[in-house]
Amino acid sequence: MSENADSTQNRHFLLRRLHSLSGIVPIGVFLIVHLVTNSTIAWGGLNSRVDQEGFGWIDRSIATFQHEVSFINNMPLLLLIEITLWSAIGFHSILGVYYAMSGKGNTGAYKYGGNLRYALQRTTGYFGIFFIFYHVATLRWGWTWLIPGDAVWSHEAASSTFAAALRGSPEEFTAVGMVVAVFYFFGVSSLIFHFANGLWSAAITWGITISRPAQKRWGFMCAGIGASLMILAWMSIIGFATLDYDRAVEVENAMHGEQIHLNSEDALDAVTLTGHDDTDG
Amino acid sequence: MSEAEAYSYDADMRKANRKQAVEGRSVIFKIKRCDGPGKPTRWESFKVPIETGANVISSLNWIAANPVTVEGTKTTPVVWDSSCLEEVCGACTMLINGRVRQSCSCLIDEYAPKEGDTISLEPMGKFPVIRDLWVDRQRLFSNLTRVKAWVPIDGTYNMGAGPKESHEQQQMRYALSECMSCGCCLEACPQFTKEEDESKWDSSFVGAHAISQARYFNEHETGKQLKGERMDALSGAGGINDCGNAQNCVKVCPKGIPLTESIGSIGRSATMHAIKQFFQGKK
Amino acid sequence: MADQKRVIVVGGGLAGLAASIRVAEAGMAVDLFSMVPVKRSHSVCAQGGINACNDVARQQGYSEYQHFDETLIGGDFLNDQHPVLEMTNWAPKIIDLLDRMGVPFNRSSEGFRDLRLFGGSLFKRTHFAGATTGQQLLYALDEQTRRFASEGKINMKEFWEFLWPIIEGEGEDARCVGIVAQDMRTMQIQSFRADAVIMATGGCGLVFGKSTNSVICTGGAASRCYQAGAWYGNAEMIQVHPTAIPGADKCRLMSESARGEGGRVWVPAKKGDTRKPADIPDTERYYILEERYPKYGNLVPRDIATREIFDVCVNEGMGINGTNQVYLDLTHMDPEYLTEKLGGILDIYEKFVGEDPRFNPMRIFPAVHYSMGGLWTTYTAGDYQPDAPISGFKPGDSIPVGSEPGQGMKVGAHNNAMTNITGLYAFGEVNFAYHGATRLGANALLSCIFDGLCNGVSVVNYVREGGHTPAAEIDQSVFDAAVKQEQDKHDNLLKSTSNGTGDRKFNPYQIAFELGEEMNSASTVVKTGPGLEKCLGKLEELKDRYSKVELGDGAMWTNQSLSFTRSVGDMIIIGEAIAKAGLLREESRGSHYRTDFPERDDDKFWKASVAKFNASSGKSDVEFVEVKAGLVKLRPRDYGKTESNAGAKKEPVGAS
Repeated sequence: MSENADSTQNRHFLLRRLHSLSGIVPIGVFLIVHLVTNSTIAWGGLNSRVDQEGFGWIDRSIATFQHEVSFINNMPLLLLIEITLWSAIGFHSILGVYYAMSGKGNTGAYKYGGNLRYALQRTTGYFGIFFIFYHVATLRWGWTWLIPGDAVWSHEAASSTFAAALRGSPEEFTAVGMVVAVFYFFGVSSLIFHFANGLWSAAITWGITISRPAQKRWGFMCAGIGASLMILAWMSIIGFATLDYDRAVEVENAMHGEQIHLNSEDALDAVTLTGHDDTDG
Repeated sequence: MSEAEAYSYDADMRKANRKQAVEGRSVIFKIKRCDGPGKPTRWESFKVPIETGANVISSLNWIAANPVTVEGTKTTPVVWDSSCLEEVCGACTMLINGRVRQSCSCLIDEYAPKEGDTISLEPMGKFPVIRDLWVDRQRLFSNLTRVKAWVPIDGTYNMGAGPKESHEQQQMRYALSECMSCGCCLEACPQFTKEEDESKWDSSFVGAHAISQARYFNEHETGKQLKGERMDALSGAGGINDCGNAQNCVKVCPKGIPLTESIGSIGRSATMHAIKQFFQGKK
Repeated sequence: MADQKRVIVVGGGLAGLAASIRVAEAGMAVDLFSMVPVKRSHSVCAQGGINACNDVARQQGYSEYQHFDETLIGGDFLNDQHPVLEMTNWAPKIIDLLDRMGVPFNRSSEGFRDLRLFGGSLFKRTHFAGATTGQQLLYALDEQTRRFASEGKINMKEFWEFLWPIIEGEGEDARCVGIVAQDMRTMQIQSFRADAVIMATGGCGLVFGKSTNSVICTGGAASRCYQAGAWYGNAEMIQVHPTAIPGADKCRLMSESARGEGGRVWVPAKKGDTRKPADIPDTERYYILEERYPKYGNLVPRDIATREIFDVCVNEGMGINGTNQVYLDLTHMDPEYLTEKLGGILDIYEKFVGEDPRFNPMRIFPAVHYSMGGLWTTYTAGDYQPDAPISGFKPGDSIPVGSEPGQGMKVGAHNNAMTNITGLYAFGEVNFAYHGATRLGANALLSCIFDGLCNGVSVVNYVREGGHTPAAEIDQSVFDAAVKQEQDKHDNLLKSTSNGTGDRKFNPYQIAFELGEEMNSASTVVKTGPGLEKCLGKLEELKDRYSKVELGDGAMWTNQSLSFTRSVGDMIIIGEAIAKAGLLREESRGSHYRTDFPERDDDKFWKASVAKFNASSGKSDVEFVEVKAGLVKLRPRDYGKTESNAGAKKEPVGAS
């Protein structure tokens, strides 16, 4: 009996701690990389290495972003990395929902900061799962019917596609586009809060921060990490939502040396099947 | 942490109330009543004259002697749990205006300073109601057994003094030792939910009080001998990992016990315990 | 289990838990009955500490014997001497045991147990854990009890109320073989067999209405044993603490240190002056203690302070706004200094009164604190039998007796702490033996734990070697009859609810209130013959009204009113014993102060009062029996003033 109990106990402990760990590695680490990459649309102009004849700030930003996207898409064992990530997200989500269901929020009676963060951690978790699903489904699995503005997805046309998606059309903001943009805003903000607050919480769970001053100090640091990531995320969203669509297409074409036709299933297939090499290697 | 800090978000309000309390007023007590397990609940209101220094206990005493509702209906005296009335026994814990605290230290002046103000009283929500405001907190004590909250002495015969202890260590343990098992930390905890099925107690969340008591005994030279067993219990289902770090516990603790520090500390012990077990290949 | 025999312990405070642990450790099954989860027992309220001789004090000339001597002087020689000697000899070992159990005693910088000064001694001999020593000791024993309970060695019966001791046989052969108890939730009344029953049910503060006691300290259990034939000793000896905070629900202690740090006691000089204290100029204030005792001022000994405050309010009617309250004023002092020196106790005042004592004078009044009296018990004297009682022992004198167990009492003798009913024991506050006419501060915790540890062994020996028919083999009819008696009482009370017979009309809460008022004014600080006569008359009236009491709740489930109302009847009976013993003790001794007999009268009253309940008249018969002395010669209790002041000045914390 006791052995049985022990193994249940160990499994429980392992699952709980893996849940905590998976939120940081790989999910949190990926989140940081992803946000840094995406935000290059706003600050990639700093990057002189992608400079080409006639490129201005915005062009260099688009080029930097495209470069990063291509780099990721051409990583060896990309699928393995993706599967690891998806499994981690799946594991973290399923367990997270299960754990969250075991509690019962009471922010109505106890309006303490910690309690609000506890409640937010769960809400942002639920919302984050939904957001990630939409995000991956539309921009990775090609469920384009979920994207407004008739966008299709190719990593070689990532900038223009995403800009169109956030606006609802290539040219201007549509109502649906606005919904998507706002949805993205809340989605990434949720995930960043979830990550930063999770970092703070994990330090207590693992016994890294014990004293109240230590928990407080680490809290400030997590808030700093969260705020930095928020800035990156909002920069990305604003950057894409206000991106000059035509310029983006031009830069993409210049980089890949080939016209990529939007709304063309064939072109998409051609790109993904032939697997073009990075042009500016 | 002082009590004032613990109640920080309404301490000022209560102090202000105290200053403007009207003498000779009457206050309405809205009390959630229930005749016994499985019986329906109902609210009854009582108009209670407030004497100087009145608290919730003295008001309940008044109602016991004059059990007539505001509507003029004769009813039964309200049943509640109490003992020391000095906020050291933990018995008279209940929800006052929706929030958990001891009723003996709850001054009417701070909660209902004006004529006709209302105070609501409810039983704690995380424990089964016995009758009216009296709940059965057996699970709370059972959780102390679960973490073996005692020092395993050989016996009560004379065997000389206990281990020496530094002043700092004593101060740290003393802060933890003041836990009076009132259950405020459990009531306010979003992770500690009501569980009437006794067979599930040992796998449901153990609560901040028991985690803190485990630390209290782990920190004692002799008590340490059971640390492994305590950590086994706290590593399993309903143990330390079920804490969601909402940290309400430390806010509502009437004794200002550093519960969240205990949670962090036991978290560290659990981590070390697991690493040790993994590399020792135990079990 | 070594045998089938069982011991019942009633009460889960320090004495009850210590006894349960000791008996369970000996391999005997224990059923522990308590009205509250044991961790919520009244022992948690003790603050100051626990006395015991220790190595440092020993090297300064202190000894267990000195502690013993102090306890007797403190008790004005009304204590049973042999048990006190045994208790003080055990004290250092009890501290060691508590230390091993993990009690967080305060520590010196080197890591040894720290000590503080306390009233009644010039040596530091009081061990303490912050300002909640009683709580810490109770928790340590609670934890050990929980450990035994988890191993099935102690059977916890929490939320069970003791109703009656089951006594088999008559007269000399009477023996306690179990109890009747009621589940306070289901209201089920049931008998429990036991080969011995230990009463560890504490004091009876609620008889006096608002006291410093917990709401469970009704004395109901002791009263029921008394009515069943157990004798009650020194009932009149009730300790009153001079400075308590009168509350709407109870009185809470205000430490003597407030006076030690410069607090002034006053009332408005003009009777009926309703101005706020700050508006009353200095010239219109009556500084009671300073004017009556110019030399000592506010630092007069506790008993004098108590009497003068009482006199000003009750006899002269000069209390604040006509109430029984006086000001204890610290507002003339620097608030920061006060916070630094008295922060803890000032916070307590603010928490429960809602006024900051740094800026508003505190309102205080003496309050009933401890019952020295209790169930009368006996014992077998130990090895130390001096040819003549020792007189005037001083620190540094050669110590007449060693501190090994068995000098004072014969450890394990069957009759130690046994009442006059065989097999019925009384431990802790409900045992009258230790504290005589006044208890020394920080001796209460000691006597409770000592009773459990030392006399727990006696109980085990009595059960194993007593040669009585095992309780399990006693005829069921004995138990059934006892249950029926209690069930009838219970049903009778239930019938008295408004939907019952209708000829009942008196409110039990009103009766309890009047009982408290009467007992408080007649039988606490200042007693007089006529006052006590009047009190006895009032009790008769209350008894009559009680027989026509109307219960407010007819529920068959968790009926608290019923439980309370039942105890009101028992409190009246104990109150009568207290008042009657006080009336018959025509002298002043310790806490018992008669204005008509202001001197100690050793010739007539160096005797314990023993109250015996007369079942046919329903009244108390009080007689006086020799105090069990022989170790220390009687001497005047003259240390009072100087000593108390020394204590107050040096370590002004000792208000337990």
